[in-house]
Amino acid sequence: MDSFLEEEDEEAPTVVVAGKRRRRSSPAAQALQPPLHLPFLPLQPVSSNEHKLNFRKSKEACLSFIQDALLQKEWKRAAEFLTCYIESLEKDYSREHIGPSEMIWRTGAEILWHHSQSSMKEFNCFMEQMKTLGVKRYLKVCLEHVFHLLCNGQIDEAYQNLSLAESWRFGEQTAIQDKEMKLIQAYRGLLDYYSWSKQKNILLENSEDGFSDSAVEQEMHGYFRKAAVNLKEIIKIPGVWDIFVKCYVDLLEFYGDHNEARQVLNEYAYNSKFPANPNAHVYLYQFLKRQREPKKSLISALKILHDIVPSHELMIDFNTMLQKSKKRKKRRLGLEVIFAALDYAGWKENAKAWSCLSRQVKQIVISEKHLDWIKQEWNSRKDWWPAFHFSRYLAKRNWQENKSLSYEKALVAGILLGKGCKYFKYVSHQGCKAQLKRFRMLKKFVNRHNPVYLRISGPPDSSVQP
Amino acid sequence: MEFPAALFPSYFGAGPPQEEGGPAPLAGWGEHGQVLEGGPGRRQVQPAFVPRRGATGERWEAADAAAVPVLLPRAGCWIPSPAPQDILYRSGLCKKLRAGKSRAILDFTRQLGHFFVDHPEDAFGSLGRLLHKNFYLGNSKLQRPARSSTIRMTALVEDIDRLEARRGCPRQHLASRLRWFSHLCRDWLFEVPLGLLADCLHEELMQQWSNLLFDDSLTGGALAWLPPEDRGTPVGCLVHPGGQAMNHLYFQDVVLEELPRTRGAPAQFELSGRIQQVAAARVDGQDFVGVRSDYHCGVWRLLGKRGAVPTPLQVIHTDVPASCLTVSPHLPGELSVCTQSGTVYLWSVETGLQQLRHDPQTMFFRDHSPWRWSDFTAHPRVLSCADRTGLQCLDARAPKRCHFDLFKVGEEAGCQQGERVVLPMYLGRAHPSQYLVTTQFSVYVLDERLPLVPVLKWAHMMKAPPLFAHLMPGKPGRSHKVLLGASRTQELLLLQYRGGSQSACQLAGTPQKLHSIAGCLQHLPTQLPHRHHLLQQRLTAPAAGLAATLQEDGLHKSMLIFQLSEAGDVFCQRLTHNAAQPPAPPSRDEATTAPGSSPLFEVPASSPQGLAGEEEEEEEQTFYLSNLEVIIDDEEEDMGTSAPLEEAELLQERCANPQPSPAVPSPAAALQYRRWLRALSRACKEPPGHTWSPSLSQRRLFTRKDLEGPVGPSSLQRQMRQRLRQTMKEGGLIQHWAPLALQPPPLPQALEPAGGLDPLSARLTAAWAGDWEQWWEERTSFSVAKRQQALRERRRRQKRAQGRRSLSASFTSSLTYQSELSELSDTGPSVLSPGRPPLLSQEASPPAGSPLVHSPATSAAPDEALLSSQSLRCRGIPKERRKTLRDYLSVWAEGPPEPPEPLGSQASQLCIPSSQSQLSSASQPRRKRPRMGF
Repeated sequence: MDSFLEEEDEEAPTVVVAGKRRRRSSPAAQALQPPLHLPFLPLQPVSSNEHKLNFRKSKEACLSFIQDALLQKEWKRAAEFLTCYIESLEKDYSREHIGPSEMIWRTGAEILWHHSQSSMKEFNCFMEQMKTLGVKRYLKVCLEHVFHLLCNGQIDEAYQNLSLAESWRFGEQTAIQDKEMKLIQAYRGLLDYYSWSKQKNILLENSEDGFSDSAVEQEMHGYFRKAAVNLKEIIKIPGVWDIFVKCYVDLLEFYGDHNEARQVLNEYAYNSKFPANPNAHVYLYQFLKRQREPKKSLISALKILHDIVPSHELMIDFNTMLQKSKKRKKRRLGLEVIFAALDYAGWKENAKAWSCLSRQVKQIVISEKHLDWIKQEWNSRKDWWPAFHFSRYLAKRNWQENKSLSYEKALVAGILLGKGCKYFKYVSHQGCKAQLKRFRMLKKFVNRHNPVYLRISGPPDSSVQP
Repeated sequence: MEFPAALFPSYFGAGPPQEEGGPAPLAGWGEHGQVLEGGPGRRQVQPAFVPRRGATGERWEAADAAAVPVLLPRAGCWIPSPAPQDILYRSGLCKKLRAGKSRAILDFTRQLGHFFVDHPEDAFGSLGRLLHKNFYLGNSKLQRPARSSTIRMTALVEDIDRLEARRGCPRQHLASRLRWFSHLCRDWLFEVPLGLLADCLHEELMQQWSNLLFDDSLTGGALAWLPPEDRGTPVGCLVHPGGQAMNHLYFQDVVLEELPRTRGAPAQFELSGRIQQVAAARVDGQDFVGVRSDYHCGVWRLLGKRGAVPTPLQVIHTDVPASCLTVSPHLPGELSVCTQSGTVYLWSVETGLQQLRHDPQTMFFRDHSPWRWSDFTAHPRVLSCADRTGLQCLDARAPKRCHFDLFKVGEEAGCQQGERVVLPMYLGRAHPSQYLVTTQFSVYVLDERLPLVPVLKWAHMMKAPPLFAHLMPGKPGRSHKVLLGASRTQELLLLQYRGGSQSACQLAGTPQKLHSIAGCLQHLPTQLPHRHHLLQQRLTAPAAGLAATLQEDGLHKSMLIFQLSEAGDVFCQRLTHNAAQPPAPPSRDEATTAPGSSPLFEVPASSPQGLAGEEEEEEEQTFYLSNLEVIIDDEEEDMGTSAPLEEAELLQERCANPQPSPAVPSPAAALQYRRWLRALSRACKEPPGHTWSPSLSQRRLFTRKDLEGPVGPSSLQRQMRQRLRQTMKEGGLIQHWAPLALQPPPLPQALEPAGGLDPLSARLTAAWAGDWEQWWEERTSFSVAKRQQALRERRRRQKRAQGRRSLSASFTSSLTYQSELSELSDTGPSVLSPGRPPLLSQEASPPAGSPLVHSPATSAAPDEALLSSQSLRCRGIPKERRKTLRDYLSVWAEGPPEPPEPLGSQASQLCIPSSQSQLSSASQPRRKRPRMGF
């Protein structure tokens, strides 16, 4: 830091002397210059290059001090260094892709978020100044400013800022600026949507009370138009636009434009330019459900979700839906779905999923039909499921933590691995010891159907009938 | 496995990265990224927004001023890996050249020269032997018959020396003789063809240099913490490498107290290669520890029970260096291994290796790095595999068909140009489907269910790429903590994030920088400059691993972070959770009131209950003792005085730390530092047999002819030479060149040998002698009463001595001197030297000739006893050998034939420059003793 300050000291007198020179034009006067300033002058003229280098060095040192203070959460110290660093704006020769003005913006904002003595007013003031610092960054700074206002609950100020930013024009826009502008519009649309829904709630309350307010209704429609235009724009561009899509669909549904809504959701879910966002499929499924679409289309929507995210929580719904189906193929798919879900570590202790599986397995075993379904599913899992799900350690832990989970798992283990399986043995033993009736039933059931295990785990043969 | 109902908005592009690359300082600050509606309640009056970055996080504060060593250094010193200055070319010319191009130049010739000098047999073995007769290394001219077949090498060597002196001179080519010689024998002289050798050397140098720039073999880190099975006991196991070559694997039990301490001896395994990575995972209550060295990978199992012995399970050998080893968190005994040839294996202890993929090319675009990585995912059969360009997930059951891209360096994740994957890590313990990817610029959190789009991205701004990462999952509702560690700069960064299932992922709180190992340097006791340098070198060694654990007892939550350095040191720091919003009280209070400290700390220095005789190494709990507290306090004072200098140094080295943290280490930490330092100096000391200064044979150094000189020297010269010879013969030291009646003996002042030494000079002398530490200890443990008594005693003796010394050359005075010496040596050996001058000057008062006359007799005295044939016979030495032995021993007895000794002429002595007059023979007093025996 010292060098940084020295730099300043050296600077100031030079300017003073130069100024005097200009004023006193005669050479005699020049010779009579007051010697006062001279000692401050550097003894040897520093070459301009070296000067720049020193300046750069001290700038870098200052930056690293700021960084250090920020990382240690010493906001006051960081603020002090930042005030020194602001000088670097004056001679900004840098060609780095993050220039001093951006650094000042970033660090300043960070400090003002955390500094104990900063207020929202100061922050706004600072951000306004930062907006003027760089044309290229104007929209970005605006967006960040808006985000901060939104997080602090100042929705109206945020809205004003968004409108201002939207009307900003500066020559040719770069691709990034274009994106930022779209985002600004989208966020404005989002805020319009919130105003719309507020008005809607008022209107609904009023209509319950029996009177209608046409002014409110007018206003509401105005918000709808503004929101819809902006939201519609952004969701055309590939990206993750969950909130925007949700709001837009909500608007459309309210005004009864179901076709448009369906189209939007289909586009969002199935356009290959968009990322494989599970939420897109979830929204579509929920929309279809709301529309009371036939089972078939619900199943096909979930089937696609299953293909991209087999571990999604909707797979339980999917499985129940498929199990109820009369078609063999669908029931078979249900078994596949639940097996696939239980492959994932996140489902390991999900009692619901295990009960789905145990119910379906039990059904199949009792009916003695379609044992080959189980066999096929089991084939690709028999080398790792026992260690993954049915170890003795897990038996102990599941028994301690969740009895019903261990019951379901023990049933599946007993059927898939036979009555000699460690998991089944431990749990049934504990269950019988604890005099629990259903565990005794479980033991009986597994013992009765023990031959099934041999058929499931045996080599593929033709004796198993579909 | 819920998926967040709404994610933060983001654009999704495809293709190569658009954004311009480059290190961007401060790029991670001041941004919220995006906001999302997600308030605590639904449908409030106003929607509540949460930011992607900038939400409040937990407050964690460092409990101590710096990291504290956990393990004491083991014997055997660390050999630092090469530094840039070892392999780079340095010279003025080069600097000029480099200013333009900013490229490092490897010092190829120097290294090749080193090879020739260090391995002459390998370099020139056979031809060297063949031509041995034809190379002449003497100075004299060659005789006529030999000249035809022999080359005189001396001239060539001179030329080489001259060339060395002119290094960097543009007119180097003038050394024609060398050119001629090298042209002549370049093709046949070398054992290994020179071109081939040079190629190999160059390759090795390039390898070393690229390792210096970025060493990815350490990726993942070689430190693991195995937490206790039941949360109740605070004893875990630290798995770390050690030994000079880092090829020993230790399983060390560590008790987590205020300062973690080791318990019992570690289980130790010697491996056949340097340990690069230690990975661990707990499955079904058993810990599986995978260890990777370059060509071998091994797996150990540690049962969860305490006191269990680690059992080695299996070792595999790879032809190509392995670059990754991770342990499955799902299935016991499963690991994944990658080699630099681009092969990924699933390694099961039961079924062996299964190759999942073999592709020497990188996945998404071409990158030269052979580094590969692989880890597990939420599905136990699906493995991720990574190279510098991105990550893919493969199904082990059908690796060719079933795979998807998880992360791509490209526009999809909003990467910068030039960005590369540095370390991927499965975050399964925080959320089953989350993944961490670090690059040199940013850190990403990915969700397998939404591949390619990072759910979190943040520019970490670290100076070196984060090679180590550690996850500490938070309980539901609390944030997950991720530690990032860099190797070369030892940076440690703590990040917090939350979300992933009910809510979208967001960064919580600001990132926090933690203490690095090097940061404790300023809190260590002051060292001598050379020791300070060594210590600095050791403490700034690149980090090699990272481990951490969360500890909760009741409301008191704390985090322990272990950091391993390449030197094998494990340092640890504790962060405490601060639930309250106002800033925490100074950490020192916390440290002293915590369990593990004791009220004895507050006992004043002169407490009667101090157990004065105890040594602190004896017991771990010794830091409760009050007298040790005294020592610590003293040292802290001392540190305070020398702090400005050290601080200035530190400022220069790491300008990132302008103001060292104000807290001082807690007493327990300070003690630990001292203990560590002592163990370090003991471990790095050379074996005691070599501590004396090397001696030279004097007969070899000067022949008699040399010493006599060709022409008659001046009398003074002769005299001096004689003294020199005399002293040399005795292996002594000359302190005064001209003591002979030139300087009046400064008796009265010099009579205060040690009592008069002020503490500063005593300390300095002790410091120079190298046992400053001991001096401190003695000084502090020396009770006042004892010291007073000693002082009185000395005073009395001095009085007596003064009385006697007025008699010239009395034996008793030297006797007192001797006893005084032995007595004084209690206070420190270094006070010896100031005690000598008086005696010397005393001796100088008789005519100068006398010591010289005495000398042969005195030195011969013990030898004569040996030489007498009787005594030799007594010793059972056979007759024929006696002569040899006598000759041999007489060498020590006989001086060169003495020229008649002229009495020193005063005039000529005056010519001696005064600067030399300080020297005198220190060995002279010793000669007195034998005389006493007569």
